[in-house]
Amino acid sequence: MEKNVKKGNAFTNNPVVKMIGTQKIVVLGVIILLAIFFSILSPAFRQYSTVVSIFDYSYYVSLMAIGVTFALITGGVDLSIGTGTIAAGLVGGYVVGHFDLPVAVGMLVCIAFGLFLGVFNAISVAVLGLPPFIATLGSMMVARGLGSIMAGASSITWPQAGTPNGWFRSIFKINVGGNMIPIGFIIVIAIVIIMSIILNKTRPGRYIIAIGSNKEATRLSGINVVKWHSLAYLISGFFTGLAAIAYAATFQAVVPGTGAGLELDAIAGAIIGGTSMTGGAGTVGGTLLGVFVMSLLKTGLPFIGLQANWQQIITGIVLLIAVFVDILKNTKK
Amino acid sequence: MKRKVISALLCVALVGTMLVGCGSKKADESSNGGDAAGEAATGGEKIEIVSKGFQHQYWQAVKKGADQKAEELGVTINFVGPNSESDIADQVQMFQSAINQKPAALGLAALDTDALLDAISQAQSANIPIIGFDSGVPGAPDGAILANASTDNYAAGEMAAEEGYKAALGDRIKNADGPVRVGVMAQDATAESIINRGLGFIDKLGELVEADGKTISITGNEKYVGDSGIEDKKSEEGDVIVEVVVPSQVTNELSAVDCQTLLNKKDIICIYGSNQHSGEAMITGNANLDKFGEGDDKVIGIAFDSGENIKKAVKDKVFIGAITQAPVSMGETLVDLCVKAARGESVSDVDTGCQWYTSDNMDSEEISQNLYD
Amino acid sequence: MGEVILTMKGIDKSFPGVHALDHVELEVKKGEVHALMGENGAGKSTLMKVLTGIYKKDEGTITYEGKEVEFTNPKEAQEAGVMIVHQELNMLSHLTVAQNIFIGREKMSGKIINDSQMNKAARELFDKLNIDIDPTEQMGNLTVGKQQMCEIAKAISHESKVIVFDEPTAALTESEIEELFKIIRDLREKQLGIVYISHRMDEIKVITNRVTVMRDGGYVGTIDTETSTKEDIINMMVGRVIYEDPKTASNVPSGAPVVLEVKDLNAGKMVKNVSFKLHKGEILGFSGLMGAGRTETARAIFGADPIDSGEIFINGKKVNIKSPSDAVQNGIGYLSEDRKRFGIAVEKTVAENSTMASLDHFMKGIFIDKKKEADVAKKYVEQLKTKTPSVEQLVVNLSGGNQQKVVIAKWLVRDCEILIFDEPTRGIDVGAKSEIYHLMNELVKMGKSIIMISSEMTEILRMSDRVVVMCEGRKTGEMSIEEASQETIMHAATRREG
Repeated sequence: MEKNVKKGNAFTNNPVVKMIGTQKIVVLGVIILLAIFFSILSPAFRQYSTVVSIFDYSYYVSLMAIGVTFALITGGVDLSIGTGTIAAGLVGGYVVGHFDLPVAVGMLVCIAFGLFLGVFNAISVAVLGLPPFIATLGSMMVARGLGSIMAGASSITWPQAGTPNGWFRSIFKINVGGNMIPIGFIIVIAIVIIMSIILNKTRPGRYIIAIGSNKEATRLSGINVVKWHSLAYLISGFFTGLAAIAYAATFQAVVPGTGAGLELDAIAGAIIGGTSMTGGAGTVGGTLLGVFVMSLLKTGLPFIGLQANWQQIITGIVLLIAVFVDILKNTKK
Repeated sequence: MKRKVISALLCVALVGTMLVGCGSKKADESSNGGDAAGEAATGGEKIEIVSKGFQHQYWQAVKKGADQKAEELGVTINFVGPNSESDIADQVQMFQSAINQKPAALGLAALDTDALLDAISQAQSANIPIIGFDSGVPGAPDGAILANASTDNYAAGEMAAEEGYKAALGDRIKNADGPVRVGVMAQDATAESIINRGLGFIDKLGELVEADGKTISITGNEKYVGDSGIEDKKSEEGDVIVEVVVPSQVTNELSAVDCQTLLNKKDIICIYGSNQHSGEAMITGNANLDKFGEGDDKVIGIAFDSGENIKKAVKDKVFIGAITQAPVSMGETLVDLCVKAARGESVSDVDTGCQWYTSDNMDSEEISQNLYD
Repeated sequence: MGEVILTMKGIDKSFPGVHALDHVELEVKKGEVHALMGENGAGKSTLMKVLTGIYKKDEGTITYEGKEVEFTNPKEAQEAGVMIVHQELNMLSHLTVAQNIFIGREKMSGKIINDSQMNKAARELFDKLNIDIDPTEQMGNLTVGKQQMCEIAKAISHESKVIVFDEPTAALTESEIEELFKIIRDLREKQLGIVYISHRMDEIKVITNRVTVMRDGGYVGTIDTETSTKEDIINMMVGRVIYEDPKTASNVPSGAPVVLEVKDLNAGKMVKNVSFKLHKGEILGFSGLMGAGRTETARAIFGADPIDSGEIFINGKKVNIKSPSDAVQNGIGYLSEDRKRFGIAVEKTVAENSTMASLDHFMKGIFIDKKKEADVAKKYVEQLKTKTPSVEQLVVNLSGGNQQKVVIAKWLVRDCEILIFDEPTRGIDVGAKSEIYHLMNELVKMGKSIIMISSEMTEILRMSDRVVVMCEGRKTGEMSIEEASQETIMHAATRREG
């Protein structure tokens, strides 16, 4: 006990470490270790195409996770992002396919649908004061049904690469002389930087953290908490729409009725990245790193020939450790 | 106090419903027994159909066939199914409420027969005939299911192996100078239909390979390995190694990763995906690798079912071919069998068939009617 | 004292079923500290909420700087220069000190918040107030006292003209209170109007110029502090005379058996070699400054924190207490200083709370015998004179004093022989306080033994039969009530050992 009293140590007091955050450095270390581990065990994992695939499958989860980080920081949660992503992808794809509209319109529809969900959640959580878990559990189910109905209850295929409308598939990946360049990664990094600035350096972000830290105190400071609390859910909804575009660009078909469970991957990523389930603490960069841990496990474990169900067990254990670290951090205070 | 009153009222209501339920059942029985012929003449029977899914284009095609036939025969049908093929409890509930509708006949494609046993015996005691479709109701008590309208999935799997072997796979195996690998991608190891498609393919392949004087071994998912007819289940030492992969969770991502893992193996020459989900995952998994196609340096892709993406892949010769079932005709046959059973005619199993399609024949009338987007 | 800056006249406010404020008056002059006193529920907080626009008044006028005003929300009041330092700390623990102080009025460079400028401004502010806090530190890492100081700094930084302090010293140590008083005197010098809400009578005498007393939502009167006595104020508050004199002799017979003996107890950093004895029927006062290790000692005895070494004997028998449940088995009940967090389930009923520690005795098969539970709870409601409409009332709806009684009932139902009262009257008004005192006296008469941890010297001197004093985790004094006085206790409480 006595020895721990000394505040911090050489590592945590290092200015670089302080700036990036201890947790993020640890998570980054985990990512590097995992990558080395998988590369040693599986030659196929070392291939460039595998790296591209890991990126491919991480975009939509990353986007969902960036959005839900804001809801988590307010001390709430948004469970509707998983089915919301699928529903937005269905509705957007349906509009393109059935009315023969440019794919850009479909993408706008995705974002509009995500925002619609965000408004729905904002009203129930921030305005009416429902518990976020229950409110977004409800909208999660609504989104699941609504997407299916609006898309005519059949699976939806977005335009294929190579067709006139297929250009959107190269938003996240371009083909240069047979080599796939995962430019989506750059886009995601850019979004992370923008959202980090919004969270840490602007009033909306500051107030979202304040609400998660102590909502009543924030209100008494004369801040319009309904407005900024709502904004967190709108951001979550907006990113649900973006995630839908990434999903449609990566996968062959969007199947109605699916999507439940995707939100848990995103939330798990945010938690691993250091976002606190009790609100007030969290970073967008940390979330991205957390998602990468999840993606690496998902993509890497099959490569080393691990039985499918072991993948789930290991991912679950990693999540438990992350939550445990979160609790340790809180009890120390 | 209030709570007690409410719970007392609920009890009364519950008992009341049970009594009414018993009463009406008796009434039904007497009308069924007494006046079956009369009903047949008037038509307009109500048929409840509980499928394994609803959203997928495949089920929509079955529904289309069923709707067409219902209109033709002048009966009304109600076609329902759970959101996804893992929602077993939802399906039990749907089937239960279908029975409560007291239809003239029931159509059923069971997700999990054991979970439905109670409801099935209820339907039996209420004298409602049940017709199975698609994968049917495997393992149902004798006599519970009067007939099945289904694809013989095992035979369909065999067809995929046979046609694939004929088209290109056979030559590749015969000309190989070392061991080669054939991947089988299955969505799960629980649904009979999926399992049979896999086993049909594996067993037939084994037969063909051995007929050509080569050896074959199998590895991967224990269920498939255990049930397959291939004898070498341990070593990876056959001239042909069959590797069966099943994802832990049915998501696009996991199946795509499975496909990539297979494509990255040096000795891989062919991958067979046993339903639309697996087929689409093969396309996603191939996106960064571009390994499927024709020619000796490529991997042979064989798919199952259709859908816009798989059709395009077959058309573009990314896959050498695919098996399609006949969902429309399955729907039609199902309603036909239901109506016959409701009217007391004798019924028996009908194989609704399947077809091998390639870029050459997929536009023909005979095939294209069974391909859906 | 200068001219009048704020006048509230004939303020009337009703909630459904409650006449919360009945034509209340308050007048604050520039350069005065004006105490607002009254029992809990007298309407002080409601009056302040009306002032800052959280509640809308039904009748009456508020005149501020010569003009009639009506603020519609705290922000408007803030902007006009009227600011409240709340009793519950309004800190955002995840943000830095500077970010807290400037929340809602961040210094901006365009759309981007300029944190370094905010840190600089905060540092200047602290320098002016002589407060030593790093503006870049996370609020959650500060002690409660320092957080309180930040709150005050924040209020001052608003360039307020009227500042309301709502029980500011509840969580402060003696030295921090001194700091606070220095700041308040300084503000008074600068001609600010200060409203000071507190239950601590001695503070009122020290720091305030005038006192306005409220009772049951009504205005009782305003008097000058200097010319009035403690008793005058208390009489105005409760409408009856309260006995506040110290105890002169122990009520415990000399041969009373020892029920609890602690020998050389060590636990963590805050409990070092603590030994003492508790006799049957005794109230043993634990005095000391904040952070002396009294609560930590209690928690170690109760099994809530691990013991490093030492022995505990109950009725002469050595016991091994590893968890609160062991302690309860041995007849020890602990009434936490922080009722809401540790003592009570606020969203449960009085009956459910009463039986919480002894549910085993209220089972009928696998179900809880609700009738027996209600009967027993009723018995204790009557015995302890808990003011509640019924035992089915949710505890959250009771006042602080009555919540405390429910906690006492919980341990009585469990039949605990040794009760540890940790700050039993914190946040409880004068009337309820004397009831709790009465109750403690009743309990020892019944043969229970009590350890009472208290930071209020008057409480220690009034209630204890014997006093143990702690400082920095060690027992630094033990004295009979005859020997104990403010001076002797204070002397022991500051006796630091190397």
